[in-house]
Amino acid sequence: MSDTKTPLLEVQNLTKTFVTQGSGAVFAGKRSFTAVDDVSFAVQPHETLAIVGESGSGKSTMARIAAKLLEPTAGNVLLNGTDMTHAKAKDLAHFRSKVQVVFQDPFSSLNPKHTVERIIMAPLDYQGVKPPKKRRDFVRDLMDRVGLNPDHSQRYPGQFSGGQAQRVGIARALAVGPSLVVCDEAVSALDVSVQAVVINLLKDLQRERDLSYIFIAHDLAVVRHIADTVAVVNKGKIVEHGDRDSIFDAPQHEYTRELLSAVPQINPEWEAARLTRAQTAQKENP
Amino acid sequence: MLFYILKRVAAGAIVLFLITVFTYTVFFVLSPDPAYMICGKTCTPDRIADIHEKLGLDKPFWEQIWIFISGLFVGREYGEGVNAVHCTAPCLGYSFQTSQSVFEMIVQRLPVSATLAVGAAVLWLLAGIGGGLIGAVKKGTWWDRGIMVVALSGISLPNYFVALALQYILVVKLKWLPFPTAVPFADDPLQWFQAYIMPWFVLAFMYAAMYTRLVRANVIDTLGQGFIRTARAKGLDPNIVMGKHALRPALTPALTLFGMDFAALLGGALITETVFGLNGVGKLTADSITQNDQPVIMAVTLLAAALVVVANIVVDLLYSVLDPRVRVKAQ
Amino acid sequence: MSRQKRSKNAPRTGSLKTVSIPIKGSTLLDVENLTVTFPTVRGPVDVVKDSSFRIDPGKTLGIVGESGSGKSMTSLAIMGLLPEGGEASGRIRFFGHDLLDRSDREMRRVRGDKIAMIFQDPLSSLNPYYTVGVQIAEAYRAHRGGSKAAAKKVAVDAMRRVKIADPEQRVDHYPHQFSGGMRQRIMIAMALCLEPDLVIADEPTTALDVTVQAQILDLMKELQEETGTGMLFITHDLAVVSEVADEVLVMKGGETMEHGTAEEIFSNPQSSYTTALLDAVPRITDVVGDIKGVSHE
Repeated sequence: MSDTKTPLLEVQNLTKTFVTQGSGAVFAGKRSFTAVDDVSFAVQPHETLAIVGESGSGKSTMARIAAKLLEPTAGNVLLNGTDMTHAKAKDLAHFRSKVQVVFQDPFSSLNPKHTVERIIMAPLDYQGVKPPKKRRDFVRDLMDRVGLNPDHSQRYPGQFSGGQAQRVGIARALAVGPSLVVCDEAVSALDVSVQAVVINLLKDLQRERDLSYIFIAHDLAVVRHIADTVAVVNKGKIVEHGDRDSIFDAPQHEYTRELLSAVPQINPEWEAARLTRAQTAQKENP
Repeated sequence: MLFYILKRVAAGAIVLFLITVFTYTVFFVLSPDPAYMICGKTCTPDRIADIHEKLGLDKPFWEQIWIFISGLFVGREYGEGVNAVHCTAPCLGYSFQTSQSVFEMIVQRLPVSATLAVGAAVLWLLAGIGGGLIGAVKKGTWWDRGIMVVALSGISLPNYFVALALQYILVVKLKWLPFPTAVPFADDPLQWFQAYIMPWFVLAFMYAAMYTRLVRANVIDTLGQGFIRTARAKGLDPNIVMGKHALRPALTPALTLFGMDFAALLGGALITETVFGLNGVGKLTADSITQNDQPVIMAVTLLAAALVVVANIVVDLLYSVLDPRVRVKAQ
Repeated sequence: MSRQKRSKNAPRTGSLKTVSIPIKGSTLLDVENLTVTFPTVRGPVDVVKDSSFRIDPGKTLGIVGESGSGKSMTSLAIMGLLPEGGEASGRIRFFGHDLLDRSDREMRRVRGDKIAMIFQDPLSSLNPYYTVGVQIAEAYRAHRGGSKAAAKKVAVDAMRRVKIADPEQRVDHYPHQFSGGMRQRIMIAMALCLEPDLVIADEPTTALDVTVQAQILDLMKELQEETGTGMLFITHDLAVVSEVADEVLVMKGGETMEHGTAEEIFSNPQSSYTTALLDAVPRITDVVGDIKGVSHE
């Protein structure tokens, strides 16, 4: 968090207030609710910032504002030091080519009636950008890279498993060659074995493509595996912000400590016993 | 709660005011000059000016609106001096054709339309809810398919076709029923019933078809909900699961639709009333349109609008009683 | 193995009452070779294959598996609540009585009273149109009868046991007026108010925040110690299962991969699938480099 270099993306004093309308046609009493309350954070190039919190903490709203999918009530969003808060058409297109989003539920965020090729190409098509090589080849390469069979480019999202569909979402985000990918609970809906594979894929892609991530999650264990810096949010505010190991090993804020202590863990003795066994086994049969 | 009701009533009043302005503009400003309607072909400019003055059409637009609306509440005068005619509140003017008070014309016809609407509503709710429930519970069976075919025909067969076909079969061919002539219930209950049974059925057929599909879809949706599984896991009797846990969530949303449909019917069923010769608001509407009887057209339009606005408010209030999620928010 | 389909015409073996009277030397729940089959366009598919396990009073069996492993179908088969078309075969002995032999009516007497269930999403599992008090006491009234007032008292007591503050007031509130954690407490109150012999909890904490999850797990453990209820705990979360279960059964694609005490499974897993799953779980304690994925996509 040094001030010497310009962050890739920075948000300053974000506030987001929602005016809620009562459900049902009746009693549409208006109430306002502050989801994000004066929040600032920055993402450096090649860095992963994790925003972690429980449901209703405002973490997703922060991510959506940072990705310019939602207008803040107050505050600014800066890309490479340029204020993009009120960016219009052309600037917004530039922003979208730098910042992309992967959502939680791949099935609801991918159009079920479009082929994978069309989905992956959509961001480029909307921005009127020609891929560096032939369309089909471009898609095939990207699919191959995220671990999908390139021959499946004419299939529809419904024909894939949850993990595969999420890879399609990742490929779509990568198509425009962004610098930052906002992952909004991107691995939360996946089975643990698939989740591990997707996390590893995200880490590999980060190394290869110099990506930054804003990683929104409620699962602290996942965050520990992927984040460089961590912001812990509660009730719309960042309660603690620092590098990963200091947050996990020496949490300062009481809420962080409470969160960490609540995470269920496999009995450490059993765990140790298993690892010792595994190591001995490996020595015996290298 | 009281504040809420007042708010809704005020909003309703504004809507009705705007509708009044709009319909008045359409029927008295943009339409052919009503004066020609009244005095016919042998008209002199003097006579026309006279009629304009009598109807207040020579006054500025907003003043005309003001006179019309105040006429609804305190009555108004047509003409001036000795020749003035006082129209008592609520004044909707006089028919160009019969010179009758429009308000009285509507009051005379309303019971017929109300009888029609209530009878049809009872029938279509019974058939719609029953059919929808059977279809949902026996989903995919021949029962379900049969009900859906009937429902589809109810939606797709035009109202007048069903009406005429029914009349032809029951009255002309089979002679099970006399040709319908409506009389008040007190005069002759049997004849009353014979006059209404066919129109009830015709109207109910169309609505029941829509409600069957709606109820069936809602019940199927509700039966897939988690709380139904919970109810079954408690070991409750299937009838209780259905009657207590499934029916209320499935039927409450249909209330909105019912309120609107019922209000619209009270405002007159044009085709059905005409085919069966029932002297209701719908027949009045049809007649006034063919005769270009502007005060009557305007009045029935306003009546229909007022009924929908009132139904809307009633439905919302009922909804807040029936759905605790809405109710609690209000407190 | 004889295929038995639970239906209205199923032969009645033994009277209703006997279900609650244990057959001498019998276990609380003894499942033998349970197979659950669903018809598909490509022919019948076994979503649970030849599954066997037992649960003793006061003990918890955890069934772990990923989506499609058949873990939820196992629980629904025990409850007799399989979705349409599902057929269970094998033996599900409850105090020695085979539940697969029971008619629908007999099973209704068992459900809610002898075997209760807690579901994943407490909001959708509660009917929005009725107060929580009515819903908690509903099972009580169905099985034991009694007045509305008596039922309400049962509901208040049950809410107090699951530590909902001010139960006399809150008994008349509706589900949407409670937080997620409180709703799950209500589901637990509902399950426990008849003091069932067996509780089936299907992903009871999956929809909850981690701090709330910890509270609910503690509460469930505490109540189980108090009542000596046997529990079948179904989850995808290995860490959760290691905290609650005495025995663990690992399932994949309907098949039992491994079955043993929790300590055996976690300290010395025999199946390569269990090992792979354990390797894939991200941990908050330290980072050993990349977590390993399981390749079966």
